[in-house]
Amino acid sequence: MEKKAGIKFYVFLSLFVFVIMFPFIWVFLTSIKPPIEIFSGFNWFTTNPTFQSYISAFNTRPLHLYMWNSFAVSTLTTVLAISVASLAAYALTRLPIRFKGVILGVVLAAAMFPQIAIISPIYNLITGLGLRNSYLGLVIPYITVSLPLAIWILATFFKKIPYELEESAKLDGATPFQTFRKIIFPLAAPGVFTTAILVFIAAWNEYLFALTINTADRWRTIPVGLSMYESQYTIPWGDITAATVVVTIPIVIIVLLFQRRIVAGLTSGSVKE
Amino acid sequence: MGEKKKRGFSLTESQLGYLMVLPAIILISVITLWPIAQSFYNSLFDYRLNDPTRNQTTLNYQIDLETYVDNQFYLERDLSSLASSAQGEVQAYLEQLEMDIASHHQELLELDGMAEQYDEVDDMVMMFQPVNDSDLRYARLPNDFAESYTETIEDGRAQIQQFIETTSDEGLEDELTSLGASLLTTDRSLIRPNFIGLTNYGKYLQDDRMWRAMWNTVLFTTVSVFFELVIGLAVALVINRAFFGRGIVRASVLIPWAIPTAVGAMMWRYLYDGQSGVVSHYFAQLGIISDSSVLLSTGSGAMAAIILADVWKTTPYMALLLLAGLQTIPRTLYEAAEVDGANKIQTFIKITLPMLKSAILVALLFRTLDAFRVFDLIYVLTGGGPANRTESISVYAYKVLFAQQNFGEGAVLSVIVFISVAIISTLFIKIIGSDLFESRGGRG
Repeated sequence: MEKKAGIKFYVFLSLFVFVIMFPFIWVFLTSIKPPIEIFSGFNWFTTNPTFQSYISAFNTRPLHLYMWNSFAVSTLTTVLAISVASLAAYALTRLPIRFKGVILGVVLAAAMFPQIAIISPIYNLITGLGLRNSYLGLVIPYITVSLPLAIWILATFFKKIPYELEESAKLDGATPFQTFRKIIFPLAAPGVFTTAILVFIAAWNEYLFALTINTADRWRTIPVGLSMYESQYTIPWGDITAATVVVTIPIVIIVLLFQRRIVAGLTSGSVKE
Repeated sequence: MGEKKKRGFSLTESQLGYLMVLPAIILISVITLWPIAQSFYNSLFDYRLNDPTRNQTTLNYQIDLETYVDNQFYLERDLSSLASSAQGEVQAYLEQLEMDIASHHQELLELDGMAEQYDEVDDMVMMFQPVNDSDLRYARLPNDFAESYTETIEDGRAQIQQFIETTSDEGLEDELTSLGASLLTTDRSLIRPNFIGLTNYGKYLQDDRMWRAMWNTVLFTTVSVFFELVIGLAVALVINRAFFGRGIVRASVLIPWAIPTAVGAMMWRYLYDGQSGVVSHYFAQLGIISDSSVLLSTGSGAMAAIILADVWKTTPYMALLLLAGLQTIPRTLYEAAEVDGANKIQTFIKITLPMLKSAILVALLFRTLDAFRVFDLIYVLTGGGPANRTESISVYAYKVLFAQQNFGEGAVLSVIVFISVAIISTLFIKIIGSDLFESRGGRG
């Protein structure tokens, strides 16, 4: 259904993009206003832009620590989850094992489990292991929460790799593990990479576990840290908007660089090809 | 694996397969399946983290030896000094109580292995070391013994309370009060089984706040998913064509999806703010709302605000999923329809919708489940307020679990969320059918 894109279409499109982007635009414009202007009116543009709010955002809270914590937790989660998930997805799509349907069903069911239903036993478990306020305390639940998604998407990608390649590797005397490492993994690399981006973003965004497990300010991740900027008496919108801009930039970069892959990953689970 | 191969041993393909699936299965079992079972179990107990006598689930009587040992010295001292100094009725009772407690204490030490454990804890308490090993700190008590001991202590406390109320001697009253405090400590070191069956469920099924939270959740889920689907489908239909600037549009719709929900919620909280919020300001000027404070300070305003924020964050994602679905529909179908003289609406109803059915259902399933579990958005944007009018069931569960530290009652709410989600999934999967599974596993 290739229709020609006319003027009306572009007007609609610009309007749509503007509405979607408006909160970001406004938050950015606020972040460079002097604090007095933030509370005094609704002018779009300030006449004296300033970085005051940015400096304050880093000084009143350890924003750099929040970012580092988020980065460390998300990276660890991604590496570990992808390793475990790619093994499982390979076995589920390629190797002659039984109960595939059951295993995939359990994996899918686990993806649907509400986190609030598992949080209190996990909280006890992590407390018992002495892992409160540490990276590992978040990585352990995050890996598992992202595993179902990762296995599901990886399985879709692995299925697309032609069997002939594997057959010939087998004829050449490769073991299944060598086949996986030398043939499948390089061919599946784009799919693995796509999955890794999605797992990374999911871990970067997680809130409930981060809120309950890492309660010390030193160990907070970005979503939790940012939501704690308000003090008891005032909400420092200048600091909050500046911090929002700072933490949104990495996401924007990831999206700009990898948008095709992200869309491929998001749609691979839902559209039958 | 390499090592095994050198010894001339190699796993068969299926053994290797099981080995490769194993880590994932173990992780999912330990961090997802076991906690669900544990939540069910906890919900049957009166289990509160902030109450030392109920901070674990137990089916049996137990003794907290650290507290008991620490207190025993003071209890014996207070009892014997009072028993010799008091007079009349009080003295007679205290002598009897001293004997009863001493005989129970003796019986306690004669329990299997208790004497050694008691001495070990005693040594640590003398050295002011905390007893962190729970196997050492807690010991199970036989039911008959524990019932008789707790009864003795409870009677003792009641009787002493009565003496305190009737006596006119201030010195005696002080000493009795001190003794009462020692008895209370011993009382609390004897941990009663806190299994209460379905009592917690009974409480929450009659709890107005639970039903309100459930209604809020259902309302939020249906309204936001409905708008996301309709607007998402409309957008997908419009942009399903070749146009200039595809990359920019795709990136701009992905960004709201990619930022943390909590960050998005914080942004909207600023935009909705009664004083400095630009969305409130413009909405009030346009007459959509009566006053710029309405969006966060009234129940319906706050619910609408939450839904709008969710629609903003998720519609682009929905549009992308549906666009991908649209692009798999063969163009020949539309050409054939055109030849047959079908109009646009007929084409949409007879071709687009049926061909898009599975994509729509899958997107609906995941969105509905996600929306039903909503936590971050509401917790950050309104905190469930004003007056719990926007509290979702997950937010309520979180507050009971972690603000009230009530892991027993909180588990009930967790289980309610779990069961609701299970029902929703089952319904959807019945509709979607098993083709979702068939398209994955197997060599088909």
